[in-house]
Amino acid sequence: MASNTIRPEDLQAHKKVKVWAEAKRQPFLLISSALLLIYGIIFYYIPVFGWVTAFQDYKPAKGFFGSQWVGLAKFQKLFENKTFFLAFRNTLCMGVINLVFHFVTAIAFALILNEVRIVFAKKFVQTISYMPHFLSWIIVTAIVRDILASDGIVNEFLMNVCGNESPIDFFAIKGYFWWIVAFSNVWKETGWNAIIYLAAITAIDPSLYEAADMDGASRLQKVWYITLPSLRPTIMILLLINIGNVLNAGFELQYILGNDVISDVSKILDVFILDWGISQFDFSFGTAAGIFKSLIALILVCLGNWTAKKTGDERLF
Amino acid sequence: MKKSKIAAVALASLMSVSAMAGCTKTPGATTAGSTAPGETSGAAPAQIKEFSAFFAVPATTEINKDNEIQKIIADKIGAKCNETWLAGQEASEAVGVFIASGEYPDFINGGDAMKALYEAGALIAWDDYIDKYPNIKEFFSDYEWSQFRQSDGKIYWMNPFENIYGEDKTTTQNGEAFWIQARVLEWAKYPKIETLDEYFKVLEDYNAANPTTHDGKKNIPYTMLCDDWRYFCIENAPQFLDGYPNDGSCMVNLETKKIMDYNTTPTAKRYFKKLNEEYQKGIIDTGAFTMKYDDYISKLSTGVVLGMCDQWWDFAYTVNDVFKTQDTEKYGYNYIPLGLTIDKGIENQWYTSGGTLNVSSGIAITKNCKDIDGAFKFIDDLLSQEIHDLRFWGVKDVDYKVDDNGLFYRTEEMRKNAADPTYKTKHLCTYSYFPQWSGTSRDGKNAMMPTEQPSEFKDSLPEPVKKVFDAYKVNTYVELLHSVNKAGVWFPMYSYSNNMKTDTAGGTAWTKMGECKHQWLPKVVMAKDFEKTWDEYMKAYAACKPEDFIAEMQQELDRRIKAYDDFVASQKK
Repeated sequence: MASNTIRPEDLQAHKKVKVWAEAKRQPFLLISSALLLIYGIIFYYIPVFGWVTAFQDYKPAKGFFGSQWVGLAKFQKLFENKTFFLAFRNTLCMGVINLVFHFVTAIAFALILNEVRIVFAKKFVQTISYMPHFLSWIIVTAIVRDILASDGIVNEFLMNVCGNESPIDFFAIKGYFWWIVAFSNVWKETGWNAIIYLAAITAIDPSLYEAADMDGASRLQKVWYITLPSLRPTIMILLLINIGNVLNAGFELQYILGNDVISDVSKILDVFILDWGISQFDFSFGTAAGIFKSLIALILVCLGNWTAKKTGDERLF
Repeated sequence: MKKSKIAAVALASLMSVSAMAGCTKTPGATTAGSTAPGETSGAAPAQIKEFSAFFAVPATTEINKDNEIQKIIADKIGAKCNETWLAGQEASEAVGVFIASGEYPDFINGGDAMKALYEAGALIAWDDYIDKYPNIKEFFSDYEWSQFRQSDGKIYWMNPFENIYGEDKTTTQNGEAFWIQARVLEWAKYPKIETLDEYFKVLEDYNAANPTTHDGKKNIPYTMLCDDWRYFCIENAPQFLDGYPNDGSCMVNLETKKIMDYNTTPTAKRYFKKLNEEYQKGIIDTGAFTMKYDDYISKLSTGVVLGMCDQWWDFAYTVNDVFKTQDTEKYGYNYIPLGLTIDKGIENQWYTSGGTLNVSSGIAITKNCKDIDGAFKFIDDLLSQEIHDLRFWGVKDVDYKVDDNGLFYRTEEMRKNAADPTYKTKHLCTYSYFPQWSGTSRDGKNAMMPTEQPSEFKDSLPEPVKKVFDAYKVNTYVELLHSVNKAGVWFPMYSYSNNMKTDTAGGTAWTKMGECKHQWLPKVVMAKDFEKTWDEYMKAYAACKPEDFIAEMQQELDRRIKAYDDFVASQKK
């Protein structure tokens, strides 16, 4: 009996050996996660030190240590600027519209594509649809500009088929701009965003569908009662991640398509930061605006996470 | 046009990387056998130095890597410079990126952002070098050089433009004007057009009688560019209409020496009211406010636009070349400048003679340059007569000929070549943002620039423009304007306001005023109820605190007047 008792020291030693053995078994995993960690530190944590410039009157010639400390003066200047709030509203609205469209179109597209029974057609459509993801925003912007130009395809269609008398100047009408941005996002990203849902759909247990078939469920019912509920965790996680990106509502589109007539609705935070921060060499001011933006994003993510926790759904942390 | 823009933007990042390539010496490059004669200092060395340069303006022409004249110049002076330009950005954005990275090309012209480069400690002081290079020293008088001094009392850059050697030979209105196509003037039998109202009347009448171009495209009687910083095309006309010169951001009262705001004057209101009326009548391009610079240039290039307000350099180099190469000059599409005022009997100052010294920007040498003397020598050599002729006239007997009297001239084919974009990229190398002279060549006969050679200028004019000149009995574009020069020693004030940033109250006001005008001017022009919108605009404008801006400008005006008086006093001793 006595020989069978396990002493704590043994356990400790055993644990050590076990950890070491485990580590030896998976060197690749360890190295890659270490690399990720280093990457994270270098590219996400170290740059955060740059935030000190928001509390300084930062001059590149003087550097971090020589610049004058000004406390919250830059933030005060930021909150006194009317354009800032305009840009903030525009960013939030475009971000929310993009987010909604992003989810609705990607999920709908994945569901529809999943119902296609001809494998070739499915693969073909899927490949074509995610191609635009690889185009740079500059190219997409140029395409949008050409399509909606006064001699573009849309106006040609409206004039020759629908009988419009004169071309519509799409970029001069405030009401259209957010939707043009949303449409461009949908066109560019729907196929790509649907991939993750398609992957999640393949992971659904086929026996569920078989059982539903036995019960005489229609195709629509199977989508509604099996596919969608099974996707729920994936949707929730992606939603939470994307809420943090709501304020990154794009830059190139608004920067290039925006003009003086619609600047009330087209000016976005990133463009504002460019105008008032970098272009004025007031890097501190730009940083202050950036911090504010990050803060809002953080609050949004926490709120989303808290809601998910309350409703008992999947959550990030 | 659109394609090139995409490519330009996509390549922007790539180019800024290549711009950072240091001041590397490439050994073993070809050696020219001939020694450069004349004023080019020293014989051609065994190796060609390569410099890099960044100019914070979009390129008019980007030359090829194996450009022929660039190579000839390199063989003669032993150095060349790879130039990169602004693409799809604003000057201050591009410079902001340079400053943030701390990596600079050898030469830089940061446009409106020069002061930021100076403050970031990126530039080399010129004071110890200027005397060593006679062609550089000669470029400005002592007083002119002194205007370039920064807060530490040193000189860091020189403006490359608008400097006249010897006799003034200016033929072209390089600055701003209301422009009108030659065909309109011909149709209207060359009337005297002095006021804004007369100008629009002619445009309307012509358009009613001739609604299309030669190939059936619908005319656009008047357009105006509002894209980004180029919105001066709509914004600053009131100063000229009141008879003031292009101080750019304000007017200076000659008697009281006080700064005045041209945005709120009765003239400004009348000008925008006129634009509003014409807009409601359909005379003004409905797409004006949404077009980008590229769109604007393509529009002008087709010949459909009858008139606009702009600066010559902003459109003419591209657009006139298109008319020449497309052979559409004969339809009278070229633009003629008019020196309009708001009422008759006001002396105008659209053209200011004697060159305009803009001390706010210019070419500088950065601390990253490893061969500073080489860089100064490069600028110096480019200003020598032989190289200057190569830059702007080209190769003798290929790009121009010399007659028995030693006068340069070009054949029609040579002129066409000089306007051809492909030829420009592969053959011509003007180093267009390096210092250059206008006026008379050191030989005392020719002009520094082909465009200013009287015989050459006249011969190269399109037929319809010649007719305009004959009808109005003038020899140059400048004479058409009937400008009277009254600019003071402080001129131009924009060389100060261009550098204003939000770090001062005046600069903050200046930025806000710009934002406000960008936002409101389109509204004012398009408004159904002009009076109401104008009042709203004036309210929004007043909220930007323009008085802060005016106060800072007044300080600078006083400083400039005093600096000049001090200089004159010091000369007398």
